[in-house]
Amino acid sequence: MGDIWDGFVEAIKLIITFDPYVMKITLFTLYVCGVATLIGMLVGIPLGSVLALYRFRGRQLLVTLVNAGMGLAPVVVGLFVFLILKRRGPLGFLNWLFTPKAIVVAELILAVPLIAGITMAALQNENPKIRMQARSLGAGEARSVLTLLRETRLSLMAAVIAGFGGIISEVGAAMIVGGNLLKGGEPYTRTLTTATVLEIGKGNATQAIALGIILLAITILLVYIMTLIQQGGLMSQPVKVARNLFTRRGGEASA
Amino acid sequence: MTPFLFIDGLRHSYDDRQVLNVDGLEVHEGEILAVVGPNGSGKSTLLRMVNLLEEPTQGDITYWDGSRLSEMNRKQRRELSRQMAMIFQEPLLFKRTVRANIAYGLKIRRMDGEERDKRVDKMLERLNLEEFAERDALTLSGGEAQKVTLGRAMVLRPRLLLLDEPLASLDVPTRKMLRRDISRLVRDMGVTAIYVTHDYHEVLEVADRLAVLLDGRLHQVGKPNQVFGRPSTEEVAEFLGAENLLEGEVKENREGMAVIEVEGVAVEALSDIPAGARAKLLIHPEEVTLMSDAGEAGTARNRLPGRVTEVNVMGALVKVGLDCGFPLVAYITRASQEEMDIDKGRRVTAVFKATSIHVMPFTQAGDGAA
Repeated sequence: MGDIWDGFVEAIKLIITFDPYVMKITLFTLYVCGVATLIGMLVGIPLGSVLALYRFRGRQLLVTLVNAGMGLAPVVVGLFVFLILKRRGPLGFLNWLFTPKAIVVAELILAVPLIAGITMAALQNENPKIRMQARSLGAGEARSVLTLLRETRLSLMAAVIAGFGGIISEVGAAMIVGGNLLKGGEPYTRTLTTATVLEIGKGNATQAIALGIILLAITILLVYIMTLIQQGGLMSQPVKVARNLFTRRGGEASA
Repeated sequence: MTPFLFIDGLRHSYDDRQVLNVDGLEVHEGEILAVVGPNGSGKSTLLRMVNLLEEPTQGDITYWDGSRLSEMNRKQRRELSRQMAMIFQEPLLFKRTVRANIAYGLKIRRMDGEERDKRVDKMLERLNLEEFAERDALTLSGGEAQKVTLGRAMVLRPRLLLLDEPLASLDVPTRKMLRRDISRLVRDMGVTAIYVTHDYHEVLEVADRLAVLLDGRLHQVGKPNQVFGRPSTEEVAEFLGAENLLEGEVKENREGMAVIEVEGVAVEALSDIPAGARAKLLIHPEEVTLMSDAGEAGTARNRLPGRVTEVNVMGALVKVGLDCGFPLVAYITRASQEEMDIDKGRRVTAVFKATSIHVMPFTQAGDGAA
């Protein structure tokens, strides 16, 4: 119990003093996971949509890959990306190994199947007639799919939360392809999870617990914000305010 | 007059199973054409093809602007489909406010915001939906929701409105109300409509013409009273729930006055079917009069003594089952039931005119009289 309490106190201390080392690692983690989640959305949502709504050759194979990808071991993905990006690997010329880019690539491979898989399931659950209704009201093919996606926005948000949660908490891939490096004494490819592993290795339990608590706190906070957006508590308020402002102004203009 | 819409030799199959086979069907401008048929008869498929949502295996549709389905490019299809709107059995509302739902199609057509709001407001007002405008559409009751879908379609001022069983999932009072809203709005706006339903009662008041679709084939098209009074085939008569669909053999035919023997009883009817041939007869139950005394005067040619086997009160009317040598059903008023003291076992005479019998040629298809 003592260790956890000490870790907790240490975590509070590190946070309120804006400890530069911890701040750097935290911002780096958010950056890497944010970029990977964003690209993951841009790839995963369209991919999931296509798999859910269209029939074509090779679809079954892709669906299997996506479903299998939802349970990929991060260590294996890390190893795979390592082999591809290492100096003698097929993409070795990019010199991405042990850079933030390598971590983004690995996290992306982990996030895309999660986002695509949940998107696919959500769309297949939705009434297919919604799309037909949209088309019969004049929507083109693309517009009808967008309408359907909008109908499933709760599940899409869940897909994004799952993708983000999956990669911010993983350590294996980031460790293998990032290397948990410092550059000029400053954290370079060190994330909250790899840093935690390092501190444990050094026998520095208090510091590890502090980092773990920060990681947990950040995850909970971000997921909470996304949940608010999902449930309409956060976004709808500004929208309502803006609408009121707009209509009032419109009223004055016409008066 | 060139038809508003012409369906020509339309065939459609799913996995080698033919679900639609319509040789020719015209829709006139400004009319409400009801397409009736049991579930699975191909009605919805027909609508989806007209609405360009599904491609027929074979055949063509000619639209009001002269364009033909078989010759249209993508752009023409898009333009044409924007002149139509469809309402389905389920409301299929989007997760937005009622107002946003009604504005959906106008937004797609990139209508300018002010004009759009005006049109939407007017539609909300016409349908008495103003108080629901800002409500989440998914919180509405079935009837209200279907009313919103009506508004969402009609706000587009379509040339052709397609209705696919729009009342099927509603309760009876709501159905009545919405039917009134539909017919009022469609008539007021001069929109042509194709109304598909398995329940023909639903469209009797609103349809100008009735098309009966059975097993993917068009059996009869005509004014409702014509279709009901003179169904073209026994399948149509059966689908329309005809009582007294009988089978017999023409014994003699003198200048169109035929004597037809039904289970040993001779019935006189107007028909061109020659002696020796078999025929189907439809005796409308509301045209059968019951008399307690066979001797009463009258011009009706058919007077059959019989015994009452069944009495069922159906609202204002009473359905009386008789055994006249063959089973016969008559509808009488409750007043006359009481006056004549009609009850099971009572002996009466069933009286009906030769002109109130509809005779159809015998087809092997539906063997066995109803």
